Amino acid sequence: MPLPPLSRKLTAEDAAHFLRRTAFGATDAGIRDLVGQGAREVARAALAFGDERAPGNPFNPAEAATPFAGVQLTRAAWLFELLYSPQPLRELLALTWSNHFVVATDKVRNVPVLAGYLNLLRRHAATTDFARFALEVAQSPAMLRYLDADQNRKGRPNENFSRELLELFTTGIGPYTERDVQEGARALTGWTFRGGRGNQKFLEDSEFFFISGQHDGGRKTYLGQSGNLRGEDVVRIAATHPATATFVSRKLHRAFVADTPDEGAVAASAETWRRTNGNVRAVLEELLASEHFYSRRAAIIRGPVAFTVAAVRTLGGPRLDTRQILNLAQTAGRMGQFLLEPDTVKGWDGGREWVGDTALLLRMQLAASLTVGNTAPKLEILPSDLALLGTQRSPLAGVTGGLNPKQRLYLSLISPEFGLA
Amino acid sequence: MTVDRRDFLKYSALAVAATTGMPGFLARAAAQAATTPGTAGKTLVVIQLTGGNDGLNTLVPYSNGAYYAARPNIAIPKKDVLTLTPDLGMHPSLKPLMGLWDSGHLAWVENVGYPNPNRSHFASMAIWHTADPTQAQAEGWIGRVAEKIGDPFCASNIGGTTPQALRASDFSLPSIDSVSSFQVRLPAGLDGAFEQLLNLPRQGEADYLSRATRQMVLNTQKVQANVAKYRPGAKYPEGRFGTHLQDAARLIAAGTGQRVLYVSLNGFDTHAGQRADQDELLATLASGLAAFQADLETQGLADRVIVMGFSEFGRRVAENGSAGTDHGQGSVMFALGKGVKGGVHGDSPDLENLENGDIRYKQDFRGVYAGALTRWLGLDAQGILRGDFAGPEWVA
Repeated sequence: MPLPPLSRKLTAEDAAHFLRRTAFGATDAGIRDLVGQGAREVARAALAFGDERAPGNPFNPAEAATPFAGVQLTRAAWLFELLYSPQPLRELLALTWSNHFVVATDKVRNVPVLAGYLNLLRRHAATTDFARFALEVAQSPAMLRYLDADQNRKGRPNENFSRELLELFTTGIGPYTERDVQEGARALTGWTFRGGRGNQKFLEDSEFFFISGQHDGGRKTYLGQSGNLRGEDVVRIAATHPATATFVSRKLHRAFVADTPDEGAVAASAETWRRTNGNVRAVLEELLASEHFYSRRAAIIRGPVAFTVAAVRTLGGPRLDTRQILNLAQTAGRMGQFLLEPDTVKGWDGGREWVGDTALLLRMQLAASLTVGNTAPKLEILPSDLALLGTQRSPLAGVTGGLNPKQRLYLSLISPEFGLA
Repeated sequence: MTVDRRDFLKYSALAVAATTGMPGFLARAAAQAATTPGTAGKTLVVIQLTGGNDGLNTLVPYSNGAYYAARPNIAIPKKDVLTLTPDLGMHPSLKPLMGLWDSGHLAWVENVGYPNPNRSHFASMAIWHTADPTQAQAEGWIGRVAEKIGDPFCASNIGGTTPQALRASDFSLPSIDSVSSFQVRLPAGLDGAFEQLLNLPRQGEADYLSRATRQMVLNTQKVQANVAKYRPGAKYPEGRFGTHLQDAARLIAAGTGQRVLYVSLNGFDTHAGQRADQDELLATLASGLAAFQADLETQGLADRVIVMGFSEFGRRVAENGSAGTDHGQGSVMFALGKGVKGGVHGDSPDLENLENGDIRYKQDFRGVYAGALTRWLGLDAQGILRGDFAGPEWVA
């Protein structure tokens, strides 16, 4: 059974909900555009993004003088795109995938390799072919480097990528054994990349490269399939395994519906996934137009990056100078989310894990700097309570009533209501 | 645990709200906590080595030929080992800890693990965090300590986000990333509105967020009431780990009342080129801990603090093809401080009797936790760990 669609035309609160979930926050103009439309066409239009970028990005990682600066500029350039991209859903999906197919800059510090990885996530943000997406990630120099797949040779296996492919990228724990991890590693031998190795060559590009002499061409059995399997076979078998549909659908539900997803609804998405052979675009279109999506309000705790981007976008996307944007990237990191640097290959768990004393304090500082601080941006239009909090009747009315506009914005941004999507 | 009376009154509305909004156990007075006499005012500092620290290259079996046979490229040569016993020695990067060893305040616990080892970082870390190899528990073992003591500020993580070990059933213990910036600075004229904002009735995750914020306000007050008194008593190495250890010392010196503090050092997943990475990490670990211990000595607090360190698993006995090691089972734990019984506790693993290339663990890690809980913190280990686990007497 597919997820039942929302039957009504979008109300103002529905529109605010959709934008708070899919565009890092709502604006009053954005809400007006969607009111009265059908949920399916709204979802379809939001997913029909191309590769256009935010104009005037001041950060160019290719000009970095050191690997460290390259990482900083890559992070800032991405944050600029998150803040100002005309396609926020594409960027939100790229962020979601970067927390699924994790690579991290403690190990991957090559500028073109990171750029290639991010562009891959954008290109496949709403992929119609998950198995192809998984293969392209697996063969990206970023992933080859991050999980040591380039070190995996015939007779000298390195299991790192083979294990995470199953545990974190496709089926999740359960459907496989240690033996599958070992056999997968054998099949994946011979994959490497050339170019861009070492600290000195951080501006030189890398490309995937297969060394047949280091490939173990023998017979393997992997997730029940036997043969002289190659790396491509192993990635395809894992990515098209029925359990993958459920495991990755659950992550999409966590990104768009609730920190604690409803397993029945996840199963419905997984069924669509399997029926369409891993067409993530179809799964997302159904999900984002569903009654279920519109009924779960205030169920996602905004993470540091989502909170930061939501604050700026809800305030109408005021221009910030380069130093402010670099600071925002650092602040999100101190709240627990440095872009492209999760603590582990599992990525961030999200939900209540984002809520800690330090993160809450930093949210208050960030809100102050965007509203009441000396360097707070000048706003052309003040957002309504609906855009800020998602409801037409503000639960904060009694608190913010007597305050000046900047104070009202500050308190709204630090409220639990704004902290949720 | 002293809170300035005026500060407390200033935020009394928040304080009341925080108490009434908290689960039942939090409303109980911390003073009622049942602890054994003589254990009050003692602090346990837990060090997490994230990524799976290679135990065999940490506490090196330098007399064992099987060790060198399994690791032709990455073994620690006998000449480099810091000799502890006729069979075991430390990785040379741990040199800053030799003084503690010589004075009998550094302990190693050999061959630690748990039944049905899991080679996933995350599953295994969750097992160490919840102290439950069946993975049925969601609460962390330190979260259960907080429930036992009845104080939501009796343990803290030093760092950005709270690990599972410090999560209780209905709340998380605080994470303090930096003691200096751990304070609420409200824009002028908003004190009243801020209180009102947090006291609005809410449900679900919104309720969770407002409760967490109220608790944060109280926590920051407790910390700021006292930390200004701290003067560094040692020079800490640069970097996050050293800074976090110094913040731990600062909280202890300030008497903020935490019984458990938690500090992590990340990067031990050494699948490739292990020597360069692990050598540097162990140097960071040792120099940070040596400074921490020296600082405590200067503060006159060295007899009130012990450190206990672990990693989610060790690594395969044989090196892999990339001069690294893959995920294994069983590893070493360490402990240091004046309250620790120095030496090597337990038997070293038999490297010629392996299970799928891994050592067979002998000591359940919960037995090591139990030592800290019972003998150091004076708590009911059986209740917290949900079982009776034997371990070496590593607490003096």
